[in-house]
Amino acid sequence: MNLHRYGRLLVAALALSIAAACGSPASEAPAAQPSGSAPAAKLKIALSNSFIGNQWRVEMENVFKAACAMPPYVDQVECSVYNAGNDVSTQSRQISNLISQGVDGIVVNAASTSGLNGVVQQACDRGIVVVSFDNTVDAACGLTVNTDQVKFGQQLAQFLVDQLKGQGKVIMVTGVAGTGADNDRNKGAKEVFAANPGIEIVATYSGMWDSATAQRATSGQLPGLPKVDGVWVSGGTDGVIKAFSAAKRPMPVFAGEAENGFRKYMAGILEPKVNGMSIGQPPFLSVIALELARGVIKNEHPKESVTIPFPVVTSDSLVPGETVFPDLPDSFFADFTDSGPNATVILCQQGATDGTPCPGKTLDVNFGTR
Amino acid sequence: MRDRLGYVVLVATIAAYLVVYSSSLGRLPTSFDYLSILNTMLPLVFVAIGQSLVVLTGGIDLSVGGIVSLCVAVTATIVTGDGLAPFGWVLVVLVLGAACGAVNGVIVSAGRIAPILTTLATLSIFTGLALWVLPVPGGSIPPVVRNVLSNPNVPTGLIWLGVAIGGWLVLRRTRFGMRVYAVGSDETSARAVGVPAARVKLGVYALSGLCSGLAAVFYVSTTTAGDANAGAPFILTSIASVVVGGVAFSGGRGSALGAVAGAVALTLVIDVLFFAGIDPLYQSLFQGLFLVVAVLLGTVATLVTRRRRAVT
Repeated sequence: MNLHRYGRLLVAALALSIAAACGSPASEAPAAQPSGSAPAAKLKIALSNSFIGNQWRVEMENVFKAACAMPPYVDQVECSVYNAGNDVSTQSRQISNLISQGVDGIVVNAASTSGLNGVVQQACDRGIVVVSFDNTVDAACGLTVNTDQVKFGQQLAQFLVDQLKGQGKVIMVTGVAGTGADNDRNKGAKEVFAANPGIEIVATYSGMWDSATAQRATSGQLPGLPKVDGVWVSGGTDGVIKAFSAAKRPMPVFAGEAENGFRKYMAGILEPKVNGMSIGQPPFLSVIALELARGVIKNEHPKESVTIPFPVVTSDSLVPGETVFPDLPDSFFADFTDSGPNATVILCQQGATDGTPCPGKTLDVNFGTR
Repeated sequence: MRDRLGYVVLVATIAAYLVVYSSSLGRLPTSFDYLSILNTMLPLVFVAIGQSLVVLTGGIDLSVGGIVSLCVAVTATIVTGDGLAPFGWVLVVLVLGAACGAVNGVIVSAGRIAPILTTLATLSIFTGLALWVLPVPGGSIPPVVRNVLSNPNVPTGLIWLGVAIGGWLVLRRTRFGMRVYAVGSDETSARAVGVPAARVKLGVYALSGLCSGLAAVFYVSTTTAGDANAGAPFILTSIASVVVGGVAFSGGRGSALGAVAGAVALTLVIDVLFFAGIDPLYQSLFQGLFLVVAVLLGTVATLVTRRRRAVT
């Protein structure tokens, strides 16, 4: 009986290790870039993402993969991508393993702003450049790439004030309560509205950064509201427009996120055409973080965190194919690329949808001078 | 055989880890790898021990997620100072964890409400309290606590792992330990022979709360900060550890050691998938497959043993 037991144990162990060994040739797969001609000293930079359950995260990873397959990165950097789900211990195991692999840089969108401090510090201690973006890591030794969410609120609110010439009734559709970005955006907006006494906020409610939720909440609020002149939306803007349209209300001025659906209304691709401004948290933050990591490792960029300006468009400045995409779904974030002469980075549609490189293009990241 | 499921799976996972690691990097894992695995897995090990105790009585504890969150929030907020003071505060956190567990125990045993309902409700309450204590991730832990609990350079974690395992080995031989099995096997008979089932359950849930408190302290010690949502992943992973560890959900069969083995195996699976280069999109698929295969292995083993017995 004893023999049998250990026999079985051995067989199980063997079977699993063989299975694993057969799987292991794939271990080079995530890092597989066109090799051969490449010089020996390619930098290894890994993206460690937390969860991959929404449109924004998918676009964020796609543009990262696209950038890795385009010059200058295709010749200089060997990229890999890991997702951890919203589990801090999985993500910290992955970062530990990246340390063991001896990567040169790690680009992180964190499951918790505080939960990765320990392991990020360990990476820094071993001379690895850690750049976190979007949901950044607190650890002092890591660099960050992000936008200024207070400015998001301010800029959109200021647009409404200017359009309404300082007089009018405004509603605020906020995001997911208890998150840093929601707090900051609301704070920025309220500062601007408070400084303009002619502006009256007639309703404030949450749209949960979701178009369907924002539409339902707005439909519920509208019957009790007077004529609305301006709408400030933290996310789910196309849903709010649909609710106004369904209630046969006159279209107010909209200041909202970067949903492709919202921009379709702004461009008149969807009816009714609305006047508005669209700003978003850009998915290309991952590419900026990649560039910062590359630049710092190669000593081409000072070891400093970066705050980038938001990609902004108004109804007048929209260009189909560049800032609004008629053949992409409404839920797509149209700010996967910046636009204009001072653009932070310009990416193409297939980069965001499939993660494939933009043909014949060299990526040029402009950190700006602010 | 089923009792040994956890160890079989653990040995297989360790073997797979060593093979995948060395074929990927061309060398064996270093002390850094072992140490970081040890420190990351400790919180789950503690929660799994607590969960296995509850499952041994035929119950289930979903509130471990809430208790870990609450204790993480409190630890990151109040454990300060230097010298011995922080350790006093750690004790306060452990008492808090045990008290939260005891609340579950009272509702389950005195209120006679199904454990799954009770702990689902208290899960929300404890998570809510955690958000109230620490609305934004943050807080800190004194370096002295970190050095003693989960030192990033010396495997102090091994001592605590040893203490936990030793604690279980002693506990199962005490009268309370026997009663846990008795209540789990057949509560009615246990009552009939004079086992105070209500008190045993109260004790088991309180112990589970204590384990969650311990997990929280180690979590903050490893990550150096708190997050009110830290506990959520532990609910399912602790139950999975118990399952892989071969503890029967009908109660009365299995051991906390199995759950420890299950917890270690589940932590290692993440590393196996990492070094095997599995596409990140399919990682949760493979984690799920691992669970199914592990459990099937147990069922098949039980069937085989039963048939062999029938033949002889």
